[in-house]
Amino acid sequence: MKFTGKVEGLHVTPRSFLPMRNMGSLELVEGLGIEGDRHSMNEAFHSDRPEEGRQITFFEAETLEALKRDHDIILRPEQHRRNVTTRGVPLNHLVGRRFRVGSCVVEATRLSTPCRHIEQITGLEIYEVLLHRAGLNAKIVKGGQIHLGDFIEPE
Amino acid sequence: MVKSIHRVTTRVMRIDQIDARVRLLHLQDPDGWDLPPFTAGAHIDIHLPSGLIRQYSLSGDPARGDTYTIAVQRQDDGRGGSRELHDNVIAGDELLVSLPRNTFPIGKDAPVTMVAGGIGITPFLSALPSLMASGQTFTLHYCARTVERASFMPMLKEMGLGDRVQFHFSETGPRLDLERVISDLTEDGHLYCCGPTRMLDAVELKSDDLGARLHVEHFGVAAGADPAYEVLLARSGQVVPVAPEQTMLQALRAADVDMPASCEGGVCLECRCRWLDGTPIHRELTMTLSDRDEWITPCVSGSAGPRLTLDL
Ligand code: FES
Repeated sequence: MKFTGKVEGLHVTPRSFLPMRNMGSLELVEGLGIEGDRHSMNEAFHSDRPEEGRQITFFEAETLEALKRDHDIILRPEQHRRNVTTRGVPLNHLVGRRFRVGSCVVEATRLSTPCRHIEQITGLEIYEVLLHRAGLNAKIVKGGQIHLGDFIEPE
Repeated sequence: MVKSIHRVTTRVMRIDQIDARVRLLHLQDPDGWDLPPFTAGAHIDIHLPSGLIRQYSLSGDPARGDTYTIAVQRQDDGRGGSRELHDNVIAGDELLVSLPRNTFPIGKDAPVTMVAGGIGITPFLSALPSLMASGQTFTLHYCARTVERASFMPMLKEMGLGDRVQFHFSETGPRLDLERVISDLTEDGHLYCCGPTRMLDAVELKSDDLGARLHVEHFGVAAGADPAYEVLLARSGQVVPVAPEQTMLQALRAADVDMPASCEGGVCLECRCRWLDGTPIHRELTMTLSDRDEWITPCVSGSAGPRLTLDL
């Protein structure tokens, strides 16, 4: 599969439910997660059931645009609760594959499922419209720093 | 015990004892991160160290993203929550709280008249900053037994609201004339009331014509409400009440039953468990009809009868 996409947003939060903060760069730690993010610190809502494949999560900017276009829902990038907002990357096709983000490499493990909490946190009714397009979970195969604007490509 | 990852973790940053009976607790994220947002009139559940859960209105300005402020009036003959917050909680302590919920949203698109009885002032405190900034017409009636009992009078005066708030002290002056308040409402004006039950009953009796323009908030919202139904756990014999505002999953977790769950929206089926008896209401989106005869998803599903038996 061929594609060249980009990192359009980077987001972290240290604990479940807290608003995510937009960042210029993120430090990925191989086999662990993102420095300062809830999943690497076992502070996430689902950390009582840890999952190796949820070290970093991705969400398509195109989905945010579709929500606006088709449902009149304005969801901001820092509200989708994934770590990386991508543009030009077919996330749903990447399960089981490796891809490069800047100088790092990740391996997609499964599609993210939306979580009802996003409605409580954002005050928007979006759970159902996010089904099948709630992003992608991955583990970190090669760590390092990623930045806004980095290229995303198949390995 | 409720798990901290399933709640918002806060630290008591400061306590202001504003008089002998009322203290303000300012809660923040331990690292100074913004807290989940809220709107004027919202409340949170506080999980007290003893295990009690109590609801408090948020009294700070919603625009201030990093702080939840609650006002706690000590109730010596109450059910213990306020005593614990007065006697046992000190600055620096951690408190787990729920996400904010708003069953009493105070709008600023139409003229607002607020009636507060005693500590019922608390939800209005979160609305005042944005009402003042919006230029919307608003009136606040603050009723208390005596001047000393109007704990927030100095604060309101400090906010420059001395003339926009009408104080009513029942021991020394005339009581609030409710009929007058209602008849003074403009055609599009909304009336918001929070205070003791006696006061709310009186308001509801007299303001029949207001329909959706009347909003009342009872103290301790869900506290003491009758359960919607109960769940019997067949293996342990434990009976778990499910309150009207709760999901079955929340009730099970609150009762210390370790339940796996992921989406909490009836899709992933992680929370699925067997049901044995009763009349379930299935609300998940992904099971086959024949599976429903055997399984139920407590994250979204409920019970049509007073009791549901689960194979747990
Ligand atoms: S938690 Fe996903 S169906 Fe209940």
